[in-house]
Amino acid sequence: MENQPSRLTAIALAFMAVIWVSPFSWLVLNAFNPLSTGQLEIPKAFGFDNFGLAVSGNAGRQFLNSIIIAAGTATLSVIVGISAAYPLSRLRIPGRNAFLWTLVLLRMLPSAGVLVPLYFAAQRSGLLNQLGVIVALTILNLPFTLLLLKNFFDTVPIELEEAAYVEGASLIQIVTKIVLPMSRAGIAVVWFFSFTGAWNEFLLPLIFARVQDAFPMSVGLYAAFGQQGAINYGFLTAFSILYAAPAIGVYFLLRRNMNTGFAGVGVKG
Amino acid sequence: MKNQANPWLTGNLFVLALGMLPAILLIGALLYFTAWAFAFSFTDLALVGKKSVEWSWVGFENFERLFTRRGFLESLWTTVIFVFFSAIVGQSVLGFLLAATLRGTQSSIRGVVEVCIMLGWLLPDIVAAFLWSATTSQTGLINQLFVVPFGFKPINFINDYALPIVTIANVWKGTAWSYLLFSAALDSVSREVVEAAKVDGATPFQRVWLVQLPIIRPHIATNMLFITIWTFTYFPLIFAMTGGGPGRQTETLAVFLYNQSFSRGNLGFGSAISVAMLLIVGVLSLFYLRMLREPK
Amino acid sequence: MLRTGFLTTVAAISLMAAATIPARAEVSIMYMESFAALIESGIEKFEAETGETVNAIKLPGQGYDQRIALDLSAGTAADVNLIDSFMVSELAAAGYLEPLGTQLAGWDQFQYYLQGLLEVASYQGEVYALPTDTDVRMLWYDLSNFEKAGIATPWAPKNWADILDAATKLKEAGVQYPFQLPAGTKQAEAATMQGVYMALLGADVPEGDRNRLLKRDTNQWIGDSPALRRVFDLYHQVYVAQELNPADLNYATDIGAAVRAALANDQLGILASGSWEDACLWDCNNPPSREERDAQVGWTPWPGSGEPGTKATTNISGGWTLGINANAADKETAFKLLTTIFDEENFKAWTLANHRMGVRTDISESAEYTADPFLAEATGLAADTTGRDTIPGYQTVSALIQQATSDLLDGVSVEEAIETYHNALVDEFGEENVITYE
Repeated sequence: MENQPSRLTAIALAFMAVIWVSPFSWLVLNAFNPLSTGQLEIPKAFGFDNFGLAVSGNAGRQFLNSIIIAAGTATLSVIVGISAAYPLSRLRIPGRNAFLWTLVLLRMLPSAGVLVPLYFAAQRSGLLNQLGVIVALTILNLPFTLLLLKNFFDTVPIELEEAAYVEGASLIQIVTKIVLPMSRAGIAVVWFFSFTGAWNEFLLPLIFARVQDAFPMSVGLYAAFGQQGAINYGFLTAFSILYAAPAIGVYFLLRRNMNTGFAGVGVKG
Repeated sequence: MKNQANPWLTGNLFVLALGMLPAILLIGALLYFTAWAFAFSFTDLALVGKKSVEWSWVGFENFERLFTRRGFLESLWTTVIFVFFSAIVGQSVLGFLLAATLRGTQSSIRGVVEVCIMLGWLLPDIVAAFLWSATTSQTGLINQLFVVPFGFKPINFINDYALPIVTIANVWKGTAWSYLLFSAALDSVSREVVEAAKVDGATPFQRVWLVQLPIIRPHIATNMLFITIWTFTYFPLIFAMTGGGPGRQTETLAVFLYNQSFSRGNLGFGSAISVAMLLIVGVLSLFYLRMLREPK
Repeated sequence: MLRTGFLTTVAAISLMAAATIPARAEVSIMYMESFAALIESGIEKFEAETGETVNAIKLPGQGYDQRIALDLSAGTAADVNLIDSFMVSELAAAGYLEPLGTQLAGWDQFQYYLQGLLEVASYQGEVYALPTDTDVRMLWYDLSNFEKAGIATPWAPKNWADILDAATKLKEAGVQYPFQLPAGTKQAEAATMQGVYMALLGADVPEGDRNRLLKRDTNQWIGDSPALRRVFDLYHQVYVAQELNPADLNYATDIGAAVRAALANDQLGILASGSWEDACLWDCNNPPSREERDAQVGWTPWPGSGEPGTKATTNISGGWTLGINANAADKETAFKLLTTIFDEENFKAWTLANHRMGVRTDISESAEYTADPFLAEATGLAADTTGRDTIPGYQTVSALIQQATSDLLDGVSVEEAIETYHNALVDEFGEENVITYE
């Protein structure tokens, strides 16, 4: 029942993939070139020196910090988001759409304006640490999370919930056994989105961290920028490959969920 | 009207309210912070120095300067072009086409294409900027593959075509998000509906256009809103690639905002710029909201 | 809002408890990665001498200015901080930095500091920080391109006309970037310091600060003056009227690398830059030998404009400094850490190893320092140098100057660029703090 792509489609897709991936030649050629200069050239030498440099020093600690911040933010965002988005989707609260859209719009105000009050609030509540970064990022994510999750819950047919209720299921059971599995793709997308956003966040962890060991990889990347603005391209490219890899790994772990949709769920309730 | 028929909801209002509590608290915090950003636009608050402590109210002065001083209107035009081509035409349309096409294809092709577009999304902004300026430099990939072999002199793309180049780079970097959202949305369209359309003799194009698109209308509106906002305020890629130049060719509002808030250190004026940006996107989003409210 | 932040010393204490600090740190220091060699060896010595623990936090250059401004205003800053010299007056004016006068009087090595360089780190006559190094600015030029263009070397331009003349010859000889004069907002402080200010100082007579951005005795910014107009016209000539240089190097993703690559590939004629290029030519990580360098590039001081009464050559200096937080718990210990870092042995070794220009006579007059021909010669320029206009607001003015050069690059007329600049100054500082020289 899956339609096979026509040959034309397949060629078009393959062509696109090549175009999309070709700029990476620069990244890879420089990363494996111990004498990298930042130019696009076939390396005269080949080696893992840059990767050795990238994993030396604090990289392990920074990797852990990145994981804590990213996974923490994503999980907290999704939990807070689900428990508010479900009522928002099901209860007829007047003006809920306009309210959510306004919230999303408000997030346009620059981090420059929000950063200063945010910093002072974190300082007053003793949150100038990783928990503070997680909470701050969750706050900043929340408008997006809520709107997205609500939209996904909206597409779950309410008839299924009725049927479950008639069969004696409680609210908690209805949510966990029916609504969440049916919105799995949406939840996975929201989780992944929060994860990558936090993974790449630079300024908040830089400003909130009180000790050297609290920096994540997004800060560590800047070790490539040396004196007088001289950039170590070998380090930069190797480090960024290592930096992007875990997030891609997470994508593949989640991919099944993002694409399952109805497949794994008893549609008839 | 739904409520009355849903006793598992009406009977558990307290639990539902309890569930909303953390979000309400956090949103309260967010509103508190953004209220400050709003208030700053009516002050002469500075980033450093005396005026960062002893600022004063200046009324609408900052907003007047948006129109009486060089910069804002030029940047607005640059931003409109950048957002329209990179977010709406590029990311959104391309993302949807990919999601609709790949939905029916074998997983191997799908996997390869997905990885390709995901790599761009996941690469740190600063590295993406280096990658694109290397790709478009006079010794870069495009010149070496498509210009020099045909006997032309290498083109200095960043110098001559700065805005198109940053636009393309942003499509490359951001399409993954629209693709992901549309894939997930299309998956939530129940299979029976699509099958029924098939049985009724709808062509693949009709199935997408007449059946799936209307169902995922809310997702389209949401996606448009999100990427419009993100692209309007998107800063690191352009800033690292060209810094808004040459001259002011790629100075979008986000870059202008940064220059005024951080380089010049005038947070008051910077906040006024962002409030103006908010109003502009607010008007745009009314348009998107209509899309959400009026299913055919 | 910021005011409420100061009320919360109590919160600051609870914060210290909440943050995950590994050891009980007695004194803390924050610095940028590029100064690690100087500061970390100083910390080691300090810990060995006193038995105290130093809580050090090393940051990348990116975001450093934002963080230090936030930290100091929220009262969460380290005790000792590395600060760009142009921020010192702003931070001192806001009361964030500790005046060092009394403590410095009791330090036997303070006498060696060059007075002119201390001014850069002072506010209202009081020293708030100690400089780590300084620099001078000059015109570098590519010898082979000069030969190609038929210009005699060593090159010694007497005025701006000589520079433009040389640039025209270089352009005719097919050199891609005849005169790379830093311009635009992406160049940031480099456009102000290496470009505008170097020209400005020689654009008019020094009397009444007619050749500066600030009239220093009254602390008024100069919104319009013959000197400013001449400098803006120089930019207009180079980038628009005579098209003596393409703009793109000023907007490269990595400006430093792009400029150095252009120099190494003989694409560049004249480069307005500074003394740091000597340690960093072509490749900062693997600089070429002295002989190789001398065979390819030369340098000459920036000449004055040639207008009557102007300076023959000009120079302006910047650099980084170390200062003490006004809220440091134990200022004695913080000062001890400061002087341990700047102790002659530690400081001198770093200065020499990193080709920095010395800020103290006991270092700059030492045999090892004078043995380096470049440093010895460049230090000669430092004898007649000046600093930025270190009153609060400099950073803003500098940003406005950068925007003006951006506009000039876009083809805006000198008249209009002056008007925009003047209006912006009035917006920021008020009519009474901006003057015009006829």
